[in-house]
Amino acid sequence: MNIPRLQQLLAVAALWSWSQLVCAQTETPSTPSTPPISDAALPAPASVTPTRPLPKERNWRFGVGLGYGMRTNPLVLSDDIPVIVDLDIAWFGKRWFFDNFDLGFQLADNRIFTANAVARVNSDRVFFGKTNIRYVNFTIAAGGDKLPIVDTPPPPGRPDSGPSFEQEPQELRVPDRDYAVELGLEMLFGGEWGQATLRGFHDVSQTHEGFEISADYSYRWTRGRFSISPTVGLAYKSDDLSDYYWGVNPEEAGVTLQPYEADGGVDWEVGLRTSYYLTKSVRLAISADYERLHDSVASSPIVAEDHVLGYFAGVAWQF
Amino acid sequence: MRTWLTLLLATGFAANTAAGAEPPPVRLIVKPLLCVVDKAADSCNVLFDIRWKSVLPGEYCLNDESVAEPLRCWPRSLTGELRHRREVSEDFVFWLAPPAGVERAAEVKVEVLRVGSDDRRRERRTRHVWDVL
Repeated sequence: MNIPRLQQLLAVAALWSWSQLVCAQTETPSTPSTPPISDAALPAPASVTPTRPLPKERNWRFGVGLGYGMRTNPLVLSDDIPVIVDLDIAWFGKRWFFDNFDLGFQLADNRIFTANAVARVNSDRVFFGKTNIRYVNFTIAAGGDKLPIVDTPPPPGRPDSGPSFEQEPQELRVPDRDYAVELGLEMLFGGEWGQATLRGFHDVSQTHEGFEISADYSYRWTRGRFSISPTVGLAYKSDDLSDYYWGVNPEEAGVTLQPYEADGGVDWEVGLRTSYYLTKSVRLAISADYERLHDSVASSPIVAEDHVLGYFAGVAWQF
Repeated sequence: MRTWLTLLLATGFAANTAAGAEPPPVRLIVKPLLCVVDKAADSCNVLFDIRWKSVLPGEYCLNDESVAEPLRCWPRSLTGELRHRREVSEDFVFWLAPPAGVERAAEVKVEVLRVGSDDRRRERRTRHVWDVL
């Protein structure tokens, strides 16, 4: 996985966006202040539907996306995470809400912002569920150092080692990590200028005992049946959080893995989500996002790539 | 035997006569059928392309759910076309019916989809690895 793949995806999404905007349908959303347009050349008079109060939104939101996508895994000895089905399950009460495994309580809601207390599960752990084990032989270099010879298959029985190899292949595995439950505050802003979010979360499960502060901004353009929404975001991850997930403890270190202490830093991300609505409940969706890990995490011996790339294309239903 | 045959033929004739009395199948085609409204707008201003076709010639009027009078009536014909601009803020139905009839020969529903919400919580983005949409 490399950057050109992201560029190709973004180029495809941008091209699709452009074509949809150019070929947009004849309908155009109009603001409440816009007077009804009457086409005098047409044989029938235009009519205006009297404005009625908007229907109350349902408490439940349930959607499913089917298609093909992938989330790359930055860890060494790991597999990318395929995304074939993407479920969207949410419930919004007067104060409480559940949004795709985030449990929240609305503290304030006014013209400028909405503030929520939210409990969530840190998703960095997901990468550690798709790791493999590799067996590594070592040879003794002239200086006496042990140098790994990677890509050695696991021994079928007794290892067939030559005179310069260690007798037993050493196991190389990514250390296990636990899910962390985090509690925090978020502030949501929204208007004609777009949507912005400020978030701060701290571990309450005594897993990493660190915190994360993030901000993101997105803007959605809708024209005809087409909608495009670019996003940018920053996230500061503390020393404790970064080191727990991406560092290597002295107890985990060995001949195959050197100890490493990861420091905190700022990750950044960009994303693009596009939809083409076929009906009221079915849409074609293409999305891509790119997250850059901060330098201290990217330099970890258990990290092979300094970024995470996600993409998905498919059909989404909203029930 | 002859009696049964007579009855059978009579039934078939009666059935054919009844079928001929039914209104001919009419097809109503409206484009577009969906109006997507974002948070900044209350409605769509849509130029509808409306066409209808009938197997047999007939007199039809095009109706809009929100207007009492027909938008347009056609004299006895097989097809009809109309371009009609309209403000759309909620689901509604176009239908074709004979000038004096109440029975709808064909109908098409136009739907409104609101993609934004005034509840900011519904617009929040989760930052989960598995969330791609």
